[in-house]
Amino acid sequence: MRRYVTTIMIVAGLGLMILSYTAMATPQCNTSVACSNPKVSFAAGVFILGIVIAFSSAVFYSVYKGTK
Amino acid sequence: MTAGTIPTTEPKGGHQSTGELPQKIGQLSPSWIVFFVAMLAVTAVGFYAYLLQVNNGLIVTGLRGLGTMAGATWGLYVAYYVYFIGVSFAGITVAALIRIFRIEKLEPVARIGELLTVVSLILGALAIMADLEHPWRAIVNLFKYGRPQSPFFGTFTMVIAGYLFASLVYLYVTSRRDAALLAERDSRFKRLYRFLAAGYTDTRAQRRLDRRVTFWLAITILPLLVIAHSTVGFVFGLQAGRPGWFGALQAPGFVVLAGVSGIGNLIMLAAIVRSATRTKGRITIDAFSWLGKLLLGLLITYLYFTAVEILTITYQPGASELTLSEALLSGTYAWIFWGAIASLVIAAVLLIWQALTRRWSIGLVVATGVLVNIGAVAKRYLIVVPSQTHGQLLPYSTGTYTPNWVEWAIVFGLFALGALMIGVFMKIFPIVPLEETDTP
Repeated sequence: MRRYVTTIMIVAGLGLMILSYTAMATPQCNTSVACSNPKVSFAAGVFILGIVIAFSSAVFYSVYKGTK
Repeated sequence: MTAGTIPTTEPKGGHQSTGELPQKIGQLSPSWIVFFVAMLAVTAVGFYAYLLQVNNGLIVTGLRGLGTMAGATWGLYVAYYVYFIGVSFAGITVAALIRIFRIEKLEPVARIGELLTVVSLILGALAIMADLEHPWRAIVNLFKYGRPQSPFFGTFTMVIAGYLFASLVYLYVTSRRDAALLAERDSRFKRLYRFLAAGYTDTRAQRRLDRRVTFWLAITILPLLVIAHSTVGFVFGLQAGRPGWFGALQAPGFVVLAGVSGIGNLIMLAAIVRSATRTKGRITIDAFSWLGKLLLGLLITYLYFTAVEILTITYQPGASELTLSEALLSGTYAWIFWGAIASLVIAAVLLIWQALTRRWSIGLVVATGVLVNIGAVAKRYLIVVPSQTHGQLLPYSTGTYTPNWVEWAIVFGLFALGALMIGVFMKIFPIVPLEETDTP
C-alpha cells in the first residue's frame, strides 16, 4: 500500500508537471505575439501542484503506518 | 516498540538537567529577549517602509526608469533576491553530502542548513515581491500567465515553489524522530511535538525507511537545486540587449556563487548556534573544516569564472561593454568591485593556508564566511545595477542609482525577519539533531 500510493503520487505529480509544461504552456511557440500567454490559464499553477504532489509522496511514505 | 531517549547531558558542551528540554529550548534568557525585541523592531521599520512604498509607489525608493529617467529599475531588492536565493544553496548541498557521500561529520549542521534554505527562500520570495509595485497582481498573474519560455517561469515554479516545498518536506522528514523523542517529555510544546512526530516510533525499520526517503529526496532535490540556481542566472544571462548580462557563464556562475554565499552563511550560523545552544561538543572543528574545504573549492571556481569574465569583457569590447567595464574596473563601481574581489581573495587565502597546514581554526573559518558574504552581496549588486546605468545600447546618457532609506529599511527588515524565524525555531525545536544514544 505504501509503495503503491507513493508511486501513484510521484507519477501523478510528474504527469502534471509534464502536462502543464508541454501541453498547457506552449513552450514550442515563441515567435508570435499570440504565444505570449499560455494556451491554458494557470498552467504554472498546475506545474506547482505537480511539484507539491510529487514531493508530498515522501511525507506519505515516511508517515504511513500501514494497515493492521 | 519504545522510542529513543533524549541525551540528558550534552557531551563536552555543557550541562542539561533532567526535565529540561535540550539546547535551551523554551528558555527565554534576557539576551534572547533583547535579540527578539531588536529584530522585531527592525522588522517593524521594514514593514513601515514597505507600507509607504505600497501606498505611494516605487517613487519613494531610489529606483527609476532606464534611459530617459537615467536610473535603474532593478536595484537593491533584486540584488538581495539573488543573494537570498543563493544562500538557500547550503541546506540541500550539505544534506546531499551527508546522505549520498556519507560525510557524517556534517550531520550536526544538517538541520541548520535545511532551516537556512527554507528561511532564505522565503526571504527571496519576499524580496522579489518588494520589487513589485503591485505584488497582489503578481501573485495571481504568475499562476495564471506564467509560461516556460520565460526564465521567470522557472524562477517562480522551480525556485520559489518547488525548491521551497521540497526543502520543507526534507526538513520535516528529518525532524520527526526528534519530535517523537521530545514528545515523551512534559513541556509546553508537547502537543506540537506529538503532532509533528505523527506517530513516529524509533525503530530500526523506521530509521531505515527514513534513510531511504532522505537519500532519494537528496538525489531528487540536487538537480532541482542546479536547475533553480541556473534559472536565476538565465534571468540575466538570456538578455542580449544588456551589456554584461548576456553570456553562457551567468548560469554556472550563479550556481557557484550561490554555493559560496550559502556555505559561508551556514558557517556563520553554525558558529552562532554552537555557542547559543550549548552544542560545542556536537558542532566540532571537523564540521567547520569540511565546510571550509567545500567553500574553498567553490570559491576557487568562482574566482576563475570572475577572471574569465573580466578577460572576456576587456579583451575586445564593443562600445557598450567598454563603457561598462570602465565603470566596473576604474569608474563609479570600482570600489565595490575591487572590494568584492579583495574580500573573496582574502577568504580564499585564509582557507588555502588552513588547508595546506591542516590546522583549521573555527574563528578563521567563520571569518572567511563573513568575507565571502560581503563579496557575494557586492557581486550581486554589480551583476544587477551597472548593466542598467552604463553602456546603454540606445543613445541615452549614463544613469545613476543610489538606494535610499526605504529600500535599506526593507532589506534590513527582511534580514531581521529571517533572524526572527531562526531565533524562534531554536526556542521551539532542536536546531542540532539529537544524538542517537540508543539502538532499538
